[in-house]
Amino acid sequence: MTATQDRQEQGAVGRTRTINLIQAVTEAIAEEMERDNRVVLFGEDVGARGGVFMATAGLQERFGKHRVFDTPLSEASIVGAAVGMAVRGLRPIAEIQFADYMGPGFDQIISQAAKIRYRSAGQFTAPMVIRTPSGGGVKGGHHHSQSPESYYTHTPGLKVVMPSTPYDAKGLLKAALRGEDPVIYFEPKRLYRAAKGEVPDHDYVVKLGEAAIRREGDDLSLIGYGGVMPDLEKAADALAAEGVSVEVIDLRSLVPWDRDRVLTSVQKTGRAVLVSEAPRISNFMGEVAYVIQEQAFDSLTAPVGQVAGFDTPYPYVQDKVYLPGPNRIVAACVQALNY
Amino acid sequence: MIQPFTPEPIRYVAEDGTPVQPLPARFTPELLRELHGLMLQAREFDRKLITLLRQGRTTFYAQSSGMEATQVGLARSIRVGHDWVWPYYRDHTLGLAMGVPMFELISQCLGTNSDTCRGRQMPHHFAAQAQNFVSISSSIASQVPPAAGNAMAQKYLGVDEITVCTFGDGATSEGDWHAGLNMAGAAQAPALFVCENNQWAISTSIREQTASETIHIKAKAYGMPGYYVDGNDIVAVMEVMTAVAEGVRAGQGPALVECLTYRVGSHSNADADAEKHYRTREEVEEWLGRDPISRVEKLLEKLGHPVSAEERAEIIARTHREVDEQVLRAEATGQPDWRIIFEDVYADVPDHLRQQEAFLRAEQSGGPA
Ligand SMILES: Cc1ncc(C[n+]2csc(CCOP(=O)(O)OP(=O)(O)O)c2C)c(N)n1
Repeated sequence: MTATQDRQEQGAVGRTRTINLIQAVTEAIAEEMERDNRVVLFGEDVGARGGVFMATAGLQERFGKHRVFDTPLSEASIVGAAVGMAVRGLRPIAEIQFADYMGPGFDQIISQAAKIRYRSAGQFTAPMVIRTPSGGGVKGGHHHSQSPESYYTHTPGLKVVMPSTPYDAKGLLKAALRGEDPVIYFEPKRLYRAAKGEVPDHDYVVKLGEAAIRREGDDLSLIGYGGVMPDLEKAADALAAEGVSVEVIDLRSLVPWDRDRVLTSVQKTGRAVLVSEAPRISNFMGEVAYVIQEQAFDSLTAPVGQVAGFDTPYPYVQDKVYLPGPNRIVAACVQALNY
Repeated sequence: MIQPFTPEPIRYVAEDGTPVQPLPARFTPELLRELHGLMLQAREFDRKLITLLRQGRTTFYAQSSGMEATQVGLARSIRVGHDWVWPYYRDHTLGLAMGVPMFELISQCLGTNSDTCRGRQMPHHFAAQAQNFVSISSSIASQVPPAAGNAMAQKYLGVDEITVCTFGDGATSEGDWHAGLNMAGAAQAPALFVCENNQWAISTSIREQTASETIHIKAKAYGMPGYYVDGNDIVAVMEVMTAVAEGVRAGQGPALVECLTYRVGSHSNADADAEKHYRTREEVEEWLGRDPISRVEKLLEKLGHPVSAEERAEIIARTHREVDEQVLRAEATGQPDWRIIFEDVYADVPDHLRQQEAFLRAEQSGGPA
């Protein structure tokens, strides 16, 4: 969907409201719980407290303790129980308080959630969503700032999503809940309140696996997802002021990801710069870069640029320096433009 | 012999300061005053650090107000600098009582150049080599299996050290907790596991946390004794903890001590409105009535050695002064620069990190990337 289509679609069907990303998450959960009584929500502090970021505020009051509940402090229990519930016919939403704490639940995610369909030839499946705040920029040090998406994109059987706008956050979460596969749904926590945008009043979904073109351009394709997207926009603004026309693409889904839209864009512009805040080695964008050189090699007029986090644990002081900001993105674009 | 698996928490001093069993001889008025001073200092440290938080000079803080007897009592039951400690993030009172300099604690909270951990971790995540106070991991219960391993190494090396591992009640639900206790039990390693049961894991009460009546009885499953202690009674904590620690040191295998206590403040600054969301004012009031510091004050009064209002005010003023001084001293050292991002990732720095460091050096000095 292009930026224009995005607006048209929203305009065509009726009224919209402006909300922030965390409200979009809450609304998506509430509407899906309303629509489908198989949907249950649980995790640490999601009930009376409403989640540490308040993403689930009011939901226990509204849907009752049997559908929205606090669990013991154990990610293995949370994820593992979600798998069991999903196998038995529910649609669990498991909240992991911070993506950094998926570690204790890792085995349940990769050994059970991701593989039960394959190893049972579809006799048993685990349609479920694991929601978790991820990424840096909140002065959290490494245990509250990591971007572990690549561990999960590397695991066949999982779908992996990371929205950057309220519209996508709501539409993708609904799609994830209506799908038949386990989905890891990363919420870029620094955009929870910072990202504001319109969502339609009517029900809608955003299909997993489709990138969004945030702005069209001819000279370079700037591709990212999640918390870095506002920085891509700022970089594109800065380059526009210098007369450079940048196409900005938000992947939205990493597995599956939108090869067609990315390749079409790169074939048009001839240059690509890929941005994510996760450490560089085995960064998901390495896969995107590989596919670009494999499928669009003849169109490239410069090597594919990459801006990523450093291959170090995420620091507490100097966390802003760690993150790829607009300046670092502009520098990578200039390098590609001057190649 | 201290009894394991008692149905009620072991205590020596009632809430009103009356001894409920004879005080062991070592608890002289002098010792009690010293312990009182440490607890009061820790409480005031909390108060001052929360002020710093409000002033935006630090970004995170987890109070231990209400839990002073547990942490000070533990610190005074082990051999500091000899035994090893794998603490959790609410343990600054334990650190203070073990003699970690206030300057170090404050520097870490402020992420200044004087932070011995170089600003890598979020505030309130200390490490102190001189005290064998091992670096805190935010990831709940992740310290428990390594603590078991630390104890296994001590047994292997044939040293007379023990390993202390602390955690909250919530931590006992994690798989790592069970894995660590089981490992230590199977290896008969000299590990002392201490549950600081403050009854809430953020907004989750102990009743929602586990169907188990208490935490200490879980020790049975791992083949070790479990002790149940009134964690707001410093005499009880020290008596039980010292005896258990020495038993562990003597080769009797690991043990679990559950200190029943209460966090009277919020979970952290991210949770300043606890009472609005999940717990009642009545419950907090009830536990304020069991306060560990006033309990010692009442005991000392009954023993005929009351802490005077002036002495109390003196300790408070001294602590406030010391915190203020150390904050200024720490802040004067400045913030670590961008190089801290790359140091200490590996012992021998691989090429790709050297390249990334060179890139950042150029960027930070405004040169070509
Ligand atoms: C593995 C993991 N999951 C979740 C969290 C988020 N979290 C931080 S503190 C906390 C509650 C801990 O409670 P408890 O162990 O009882 O210690 P207390 O804070 O009460 O002293 C939670 C859920 C975390 N730090 N690590």
